[in-house]
Amino acid sequence: MISCTEFIPAYSELFKFLQQKGGKPAVIAFWHYLSDSFLGNLRDLAAKKGLAGCFEYWSHTLAEEAADFRMTLEEDRFCIEMRACPSKGRLLAADHLQPYPDYCQHCDVLYRRVLEPLGFEYDLDLSQSDQARCLLVIRDKRPEKRGPRDQ
Amino acid sequence: MQYEKKVMDQRATDRDYLHKDFHGALADAIRYLDETYGHKATAEYLSQVGCMCYAPLIDRMKREGLSALEKHLVSVFTREDGRFSIRWENGVLVLEVDQCPAVNHLVSTGRSFSPRFCQSTVHVNAAICRAAGYRAVCTYEPGQGRCVQRFSQEEKT
Repeated sequence: MISCTEFIPAYSELFKFLQQKGGKPAVIAFWHYLSDSFLGNLRDLAAKKGLAGCFEYWSHTLAEEAADFRMTLEEDRFCIEMRACPSKGRLLAADHLQPYPDYCQHCDVLYRRVLEPLGFEYDLDLSQSDQARCLLVIRDKRPEKRGPRDQ
Repeated sequence: MQYEKKVMDQRATDRDYLHKDFHGALADAIRYLDETYGHKATAEYLSQVGCMCYAPLIDRMKREGLSALEKHLVSVFTREDGRFSIRWENGVLVLEVDQCPAVNHLVSTGRSFSPRFCQSTVHVNAAICRAAGYRAVCTYEPGQGRCVQRFSQEEKT
């Protein structure tokens, strides 16, 4: 069994393997597949609860991943300030691994593909991803936005 | 907009690192590789994972023998709360898994997965052992979360 604690290096190796098979389009095709097959939970929460659903989704995943972050839900935006991404941090810390160069882009492709069609604006700043840091901002642009107080 | 303000601030040390949903992502990856590139490519990828990701374990096995693998397996299955037993039979290390934590998580969360999911164990174990000079055999019951894994000295030809 590949332990869930050993998954991230295997994930990075998968991107490298797909890159060897068919270049970047092959990697992106997998990210699209994974977004469609794996993120149903986020899709359902965001569609039903808006940005509050995003908060609920990431409060679960980032807690289990032991991430170092500050997550904020405000009147018009949801934000994750990732101070130390556990996934990228593990890849950078492992001397025996050469991470897939565009590893962090999977977060951009996977989540954007779920949230933009629902009417959210998705902005991920990966400019400091070489230090395992990033900034995600999501805004609710749906015509009929409904927060918890409306329901 | 009517969202109620919320803040969550977490330090990495606040929690243990154990995100079992990653088993679901691996299951999807195996299904994708099988369907898109075929079983041979899946085996090739998993062998690459065994050699690259487990290089430190391979080094320990070369120095310390199968006892290094025994420590690794006990650590992994204990941390993930698996039901298993491990023993030695005439120099062969035998791991019997009664409830695989990965399969158990996939089933309990209602995630569909391929009956070939456990090929990840077959090929990763084989690649690790081959690189370290040992042999691995895994027999599993597809989708049931039960398997027997045997590790032995590689036969000299």
